Amino acid sequence: MPPGSARVLPADWHPGAIPANVVWDPTAYVGTSYSFGRFRSERPIGLRVGRGASLCDGSVLDVGPHGRVTIGDYAIVTAARIVCDGDIAIGDYALIAWNVLVMDTYRWAFDASERARVLMSLRGTMPRVIAGVEPRPVRIGRNAWIGFEACVLPGVEVGEGAIIGARSVVIEDVPPHTIVAGNPARVLRHA
Amino acid sequence: MMQPPAVKPGYWTHGELPANVRLGPNSVITGDYVTGDLTFKRFRSERDPGLIVGAGCTLDGVLFNVGPQGRIEIGDHCYFQETLLVSELDICIGTRVVIGWHATIVDADFHPIDPRERISDTIACSPLGGGRPRRPFTCRPVVIEDDVLIGPTSAILKGVRVGIGAVVEAGAVVVHDVPPHSRVLGNPARVIGQV
Repeated sequence: MPPGSARVLPADWHPGAIPANVVWDPTAYVGTSYSFGRFRSERPIGLRVGRGASLCDGSVLDVGPHGRVTIGDYAIVTAARIVCDGDIAIGDYALIAWNVLVMDTYRWAFDASERARVLMSLRGTMPRVIAGVEPRPVRIGRNAWIGFEACVLPGVEVGEGAIIGARSVVIEDVPPHTIVAGNPARVLRHA
Repeated sequence: MMQPPAVKPGYWTHGELPANVRLGPNSVITGDYVTGDLTFKRFRSERDPGLIVGAGCTLDGVLFNVGPQGRIEIGDHCYFQETLLVSELDICIGTRVVIGWHATIVDADFHPIDPRERISDTIACSPLGGGRPRRPFTCRPVVIEDDVLIGPTSAILKGVRVGIGAVVEAGAVVVHDVPPHSRVLGNPARVIGQV
């Protein structure tokens, strides 16, 4: 649906509306407004869902003000957690199983003094955006398949047609048409 | 126990705390934005205090699952998001600790290792338990020192001490102590660098 059209989903179990900068094809399935409880993107288009794609119930889009997520045509996002402060692109025909974590940022610096500076200023509030932590874009290739409860960490590119085993933790790029698994994930063989 | 607070999806909730919870100034505890009233549903600590939270903490969507003898202590200026803390003994978390989404910290096995003992324990836990006593199981305290960053979906298991300034990567399963200022990853978690 283009911006500005009906923002309340039919038969939505969760009371709420879809943010104005979410765009989905009329043939796509967007399950529930629950997915947008942590969606704070301020970009003109913060989420685009392609033709015939599915964003199923239980998915959570934890998107910061500068974040943008793209879900390609026919892609199926079952119930993923997407943490995005920059750009996350999920390719056409990609399959994302339940409780998968895809993130382009840790939201916190690895440097303890930098974290301390932010933490001391919070005083019981939610940080809106944390300066000094650069997101690293994540790309899930066309026709890639990510098994349940896997984690895809910032900066990772998953190649076309690759398969990621259940509960894998992917810390480096996955070459196209390979099968990876494990924590940390390693290449098992070519698909 | 607390009254369920009036929960509105998407809003911060400020419910009533159990009597044995000490919450420092400028700290907030909220539920998940849907299951907002479940934060203390499984908080059964009979110790006083059973939960201590320092000053300036943001505990967003944390579940405190604490048994009768369990206790959780959290220092100042911590930030937890959707974290599961399960205690039958002692979980002690320092100051300026960040815990990411869906991380789990436990300080016990919760059931005996021996199969026969475990059947007896399982019956005691069942609706037919009829007040039969639970069987003993292993508990060992967990200590998270100051300035630690714990990544999303990771797990910290019983008896672990995470050293000052360490980083636990996303998805790590931590079963051994983490040296100070180290970065650990994997299942089981291993040191992959320094921070």
